[in-house]
Amino acid sequence: MTPARRRALSIALLSLPVALAFAALFVGRYGNGVGAAFHSVFSAGADETLRALILRVRLPRTLAALFVGANLSVAGAVLQGLFRNPLVDSRILGVSSGAAFGACLAILLTGSALAVQVSAFAFALLAVAVVLAVGWRLGATPLALLLVGIAVSAFFDALLGLVKYVADPLSKLPAITYWLLGGLHASRWSNLVPLVAISGTGLGILFLIRWRLNVLTLNDEEAASLGVRVRALRISVVVVASLLVATSVAQAGMIGWIGLVIPHVARAWVGSDHVHLVPASAALGGAVLVVLDTIARTALPGEIPLGILTGLLGVPAFVLLLVGYVRARGGTR
Amino acid sequence: MKETAWLVATLVVALALAAAAQTVTVTDTTGHAVTVEQPVERIASAYGIGTYYVYALGAGDRLVAAWFVGVKSAAQAPASLRAMEPRLDTLLRAGDPNVEDLAAQGTDLVLADAAQYAAVAGPMSDLGVPTLILGPETAQGVVDTALLLGAILGEEAQARADALAAEFTRVYGKAAVAATATPAGSRPRVLFLGTSLSSVASGAMYQTQLIEAAGGVSVSADLVGSWNTVNLEQVLVWSPDVIVIAPYGNVTVESITESADWQSVRAVRARRVFKMPRVFGTMDTPLPESLLGVEWLTAALYPDRALFDVRSDAIAFYQAYYGYALSTEEADAFLVP
Repeated sequence: MTPARRRALSIALLSLPVALAFAALFVGRYGNGVGAAFHSVFSAGADETLRALILRVRLPRTLAALFVGANLSVAGAVLQGLFRNPLVDSRILGVSSGAAFGACLAILLTGSALAVQVSAFAFALLAVAVVLAVGWRLGATPLALLLVGIAVSAFFDALLGLVKYVADPLSKLPAITYWLLGGLHASRWSNLVPLVAISGTGLGILFLIRWRLNVLTLNDEEAASLGVRVRALRISVVVVASLLVATSVAQAGMIGWIGLVIPHVARAWVGSDHVHLVPASAALGGAVLVVLDTIARTALPGEIPLGILTGLLGVPAFVLLLVGYVRARGGTR
Repeated sequence: MKETAWLVATLVVALALAAAAQTVTVTDTTGHAVTVEQPVERIASAYGIGTYYVYALGAGDRLVAAWFVGVKSAAQAPASLRAMEPRLDTLLRAGDPNVEDLAAQGTDLVLADAAQYAAVAGPMSDLGVPTLILGPETAQGVVDTALLLGAILGEEAQARADALAAEFTRVYGKAAVAATATPAGSRPRVLFLGTSLSSVASGAMYQTQLIEAAGGVSVSADLVGSWNTVNLEQVLVWSPDVIVIAPYGNVTVESITESADWQSVRAVRARRVFKMPRVFGTMDTPLPESLLGVEWLTAALYPDRALFDVRSDAIAFYQAYYGYALSTEEADAFLVP
């Protein structure tokens, strides 16, 4: 790819989520079409309710979709590189399971939205802290982190099962079930600060060190020969990726497939070099989640859980990618 | 000799009749014929809704183990339930029924719902204990469930079931006459909220039937399944005339009326947001007290009609069916503000 063509592709990719997010503000169940929505924002004396809806409900929600989509796919991209495994996503380190348990425990005990967010985040960090503590003792190799991550996930999954078992089926269980399917309907200006602050910092760090991320895809000896402190870099990347996933899950519940599939789509467009892969994954992830969330809040009178939409879209996309990949290699061996 | 033969024959027939009278065979809601030996003295109700029927029919003292809908532990039970049933700590069960526990209580009848059939009815039947499957989902279902239990729990239970059925006929009939007097287009449009501001009742739920019986129209009747999650935007699209909050969960009237987001909703502007009262059983569930749910909803939807004296009816209902005297505060909660 020529530099000029790459620059054009980068500009197109980065402007995609911004354009889609702006368009999404004018689409919704309330009001008489896009024109009226546009009018309500930019003309004085138009439908005040619609204007308030766009500025106070749709705008924070769309921003949340942008950040959550970007976080999950960037975390997926860097973890796939770090573990040198294309099947890895954000669930691998126990972060999602920890967050799910934390959120559902808070729903069971209090039901307060703030408690759910805080508890999800705290247990996500606890899960990854356990993975890192045990993984470090085992040499912090990708395999060690992977195995400990699976074990910690299984442990929190069991705790989550216990919470669901004791939850009141009339009041608590439906809330837990819905939360586990993921959704952004609770995103408001009042609860967006942690997501924006942590995402901004985490994505910024990964963007700035994206040159070094390529080193992690080499084996440890090769990386060390380039003068990189592999173990420290690997742990730092895991911590930042975990923070991105934790804040996303705390905000939006469990949203699968974005972290697995989007990095592969981005790789097909810009290649495996993290210098380009990190921004491309962020842009594509944000764009896709904005579109899916707009469908989730608009298509039916009831909200469609985002986890269902990402699964419906993500699984076929994943299978198509797999077929293309296998064909390109000329078979499964 | 001839007289003796007649006497013996008569005795045989009388014994056969007596033997037959000691069992009652009924068909439960899943179509299974269930034969129950009489009298039923030790009941295990693994069905949290069915338990309330046992009390309403005057057979609460025969319960040996019971699940209570919406109550997971004695600590979480409303004080009124503990006052109505002082044995709550020993009776209350939660989670999946344990067949050995039910057998250990010397149970001679198990009440369960259809989902528990395989896990409970099979093993209990091996132990010679019949299981009756219940699952009321409509007002008619509530009446049928009461009559079904009345048929196997003895004369007093039968009389109470008949009285409850007559009450349902009276209340539903009166509400229907009033509802039909209002043209379909001008009936109040109602939003029924569950345990969060975004949780609304679908058209398939008992809550929607109650709204219709009370002469209202549910704005979320087109939704399917159980509780649905909707966003604020959809609530604004519906802009219901009346908002009713389920009697459980943390949603309060103030959490809606004092929220800036909800101010343009018609029901909020007109101050017509109400939370259903609760004593122990919930009035929006297919329980005997859902009868009061219709009365209370009618008062909420048509405040100027005064079709029912809900407060007095509630006092009389809880006394007659649960032997429970409402406190002044509990009775006043039935008055729609």
